[in-house]
Amino acid sequence: MTTKYSKAVLAGIAGLAVALHVPTMGSAADGDQGNAPATIGEAYVPTIWVDPDGCEHWVMDDGWEGYMTPRVTRDGIPVCRRGNTCAVMNSDQLFATDSARISAQGKARLAEFFRTAGATSYVIAGHTDSRASDEYNMRLSLNRANSVARVAQGVGARIADVRGYGERMPKASNRSAAGMRENRRVEIICLR
Amino acid sequence: MRLANGTALVIAAAILAACVDSKGDKTVDRGFDSKPLSQLKAGIWIDPTGCDHWIIDDGVEGYLSARLDKYGKPVCSGAAPPNTAIGPYKSGSAVSDPI
Repeated sequence: MTTKYSKAVLAGIAGLAVALHVPTMGSAADGDQGNAPATIGEAYVPTIWVDPDGCEHWVMDDGWEGYMTPRVTRDGIPVCRRGNTCAVMNSDQLFATDSARISAQGKARLAEFFRTAGATSYVIAGHTDSRASDEYNMRLSLNRANSVARVAQGVGARIADVRGYGERMPKASNRSAAGMRENRRVEIICLR
Repeated sequence: MRLANGTALVIAAAILAACVDSKGDKTVDRGFDSKPLSQLKAGIWIDPTGCDHWIIDDGVEGYLSARLDKYGKPVCSGAAPPNTAIGPYKSGSAVSDPI
């Protein structure tokens, strides 16, 4: 009896929903392609919610359901107001050219950092400048990131991921010595 | 018991009528605990792979969205075991959630 009743209720609700759910014409101005032809569909304009890391998400409340998805660029990079990169170690202060071995002084500095940073876990990402081949730089940056991760693990820090991006994610121009120096780096993301 | 069912039906219909009329502004939460959606409080849900998602239980609505790092990769912080939720994800609304 209960089953039958709830089915009837569900049917009634569905019918009501269909009756009231009148689609509206979306105007061309709603999209970011200004002169796109008018499309038939319901307007769904999101707002932005900023997550605790500082990154943006599209969010909509339909009155009943809620929807959310990360806001990313067309390249798939999240749009963030602030990042959770908590340290950028310049490679020149940790490594000799072409080497992934950290100096004793560098090890002490890193160990001190990981002892006091207090994050749940860390992502370590190595980067190089654009000299030498892409393949070589991918390998060198990963080896360097792994060296940093070993120091972190040595003082009990949890490592979430270790990556080498080589020369593919420059943060400065490789056309000047200062820019190249800035690109030679190991980034540490603190996950809290 | 029949009366209770009937009452529930009336209430359901009333709530539905208030909600289904093609809500124009999707950027605000509305009803008993209306507020701009930007004020939602999130926790972290760890998926079966071990990666983090922001989870928000806003009383009636629920939201879930991937936690990504600055490179666009999933964040798998290891903050808790897979299939668990942590943090203040139910604290954004005063509406109690029995489910």
